[in-house]
Amino acid sequence: MRRGRLIGSDGRMGVIRVYNVSKSFGKVRAVCDLDFEVEQGTCFGLLGPNGAGKTTMMKMIYGRSRRNNHRGGIIDVFGYDPARDELAIKSLSGVVSQENNLDEELNVTQNLMVYSKFYGLSARVARERIEVLLDFLELSEKVTARIKELSGGMQRRLVIARALLNNPRLLILDEPTTGLDPQVRHLIWDKLRQLRAQGTTILLTTHYMDEAFQICDRVLIMDKGKRVLEDNPHKLLAENIEAYVMEVPITDGTPVILESDLPEAVRLDRTEGTMRFYANDIDRLKGIADRLSGNPYYLRQSTLEDVFLKATGRVLNEKQ
Amino acid sequence: MRSSSPATYPSLTRRLFSVWYRHTRVYTKNLISNGLPPFLEPLLFLLGVGLGLGKYITESMDGLSYMDFLGTGVLVTAAMFTAAYECTFGTFIRLEFEKVYDGMLAAPITVNDLIIGEIIWAGTKGLFFTFAVLCILTLFGITRLPESLLSPLVGFLTGLMFATLSLWVTSFVKTINHFNFYLTGIISPMFFFSGVVFPISNLPPSVRFIAEIVPLTHAVRLARAVCTNAYHLSLLLDLLYIAVFTALTGWLAIRRLRRRLIT
Repeated sequence: MRRGRLIGSDGRMGVIRVYNVSKSFGKVRAVCDLDFEVEQGTCFGLLGPNGAGKTTMMKMIYGRSRRNNHRGGIIDVFGYDPARDELAIKSLSGVVSQENNLDEELNVTQNLMVYSKFYGLSARVARERIEVLLDFLELSEKVTARIKELSGGMQRRLVIARALLNNPRLLILDEPTTGLDPQVRHLIWDKLRQLRAQGTTILLTTHYMDEAFQICDRVLIMDKGKRVLEDNPHKLLAENIEAYVMEVPITDGTPVILESDLPEAVRLDRTEGTMRFYANDIDRLKGIADRLSGNPYYLRQSTLEDVFLKATGRVLNEKQ
Repeated sequence: MRSSSPATYPSLTRRLFSVWYRHTRVYTKNLISNGLPPFLEPLLFLLGVGLGLGKYITESMDGLSYMDFLGTGVLVTAAMFTAAYECTFGTFIRLEFEKVYDGMLAAPITVNDLIIGEIIWAGTKGLFFTFAVLCILTLFGITRLPESLLSPLVGFLTGLMFATLSLWVTSFVKTINHFNFYLTGIISPMFFFSGVVFPISNLPPSVRFIAEIVPLTHAVRLARAVCTNAYHLSLLLDLLYIAVFTALTGWLAIRRLRRRLIT
């Protein structure tokens, strides 16, 4: 029965199955009754604000955190339970944690050589593998560089290379591109797409909506440990938010526009400093823009970020 | 899925070795700054205290001249200090600041592998530090070869013993400065009251009782016996003490650190 459930509707194999999983730290519930499945060769994103429970959920999958063991919560990774078989799961997976944690005393190659021992690779196999990986992540010119000489983006790529030493079938990344410049982010996304095309399953956390939109086949938006929305990012965008949004900063001279003044099928979301008008018909938003008597506005296509903010609310939680 | 390609991961010995290897690689990376002080420290100590102060001490201690007594004592204190520092400041920095364990635990390594590997590494450092002292002692003609060559093994056991104790202490510590209480309150006093600088046999019974309870006393006795080729059946009690102490504090350390590493 377990194996049957692991096969998805389109015949793809499930790599991760999470069912009814909760995690409490004392009285705080970091993850509440979460369910999701990740199919082989897809990229699944856990999305949410800081403190949403993304990292906790991810750590439970590779055995760094233990789920609450009541109410029948199940985590199944390659047919193994991380609470019992963490070694099996970790030998099939690569993990990129939130912080870079490289050994600063060692150079680039030595960092990878040390980790190759953890995976039981022989020195010869490890050297070949390291050459391939440094080439793949465009670090070939840095083989003997010290860690301190590497930029933040290079360090991040080295950590990703380290997670790929064992040719993992599942790659787990906790905020892979946080704090990196646009070029490096695109490079990393490219590499992750290539890995996925080769059949690697990817699970990542992010709070960047563009990242989820760029590389995830499916995203689960979390807030306060709970599932808010889950779908393909394009579908989430199409089904949960109007196509266009117009942002208007509120200043002293901004004309007052009330909800009752709005044309049909235009939605207004007013916060302290900004009015946001949402509509599927861009012309209706342009009509409103004409009434602003020259005040600045920004008319754009809506993004996953708008879905996210609509779903999780604009008010900061205590962990942000 | 499970049947199609079963997961294979390194055996326990290889996992422990890989943790040990990581620490060795990082330590030996700065060979001169890390490897020279273990030789210089006993040299300075023996010159300053042994020759300088020892000139005025003519009474023999446990049947040894003062240089011999002191020299065979400091063989294992070096192992104690290095293991204690490694498994307090060293471990804490890897745990909280450098996040080294986050990386290692992402590989097929369990928390038990990680901590036991750490303990074996501290034992190895104990072995090396005792060996360094032995080189100096041999140079001074204090110890005789080949029997004294067994003393690094006593250094290894001393390293293990203070590694487990220190890891247990580390498991309670939230702020790095708190280690000062342990190091100046427990480790340093042991240096003076465990028969290293003077024999404990003439201490008042109540103080002597404390000296018999603390771990260093037993390591010192073993080291001195090994170097002077003076074996006695009571040494088995010292060995037993070391074994039980290491096993007990090791078990406590693993139990508490596990809760810190696996949330």
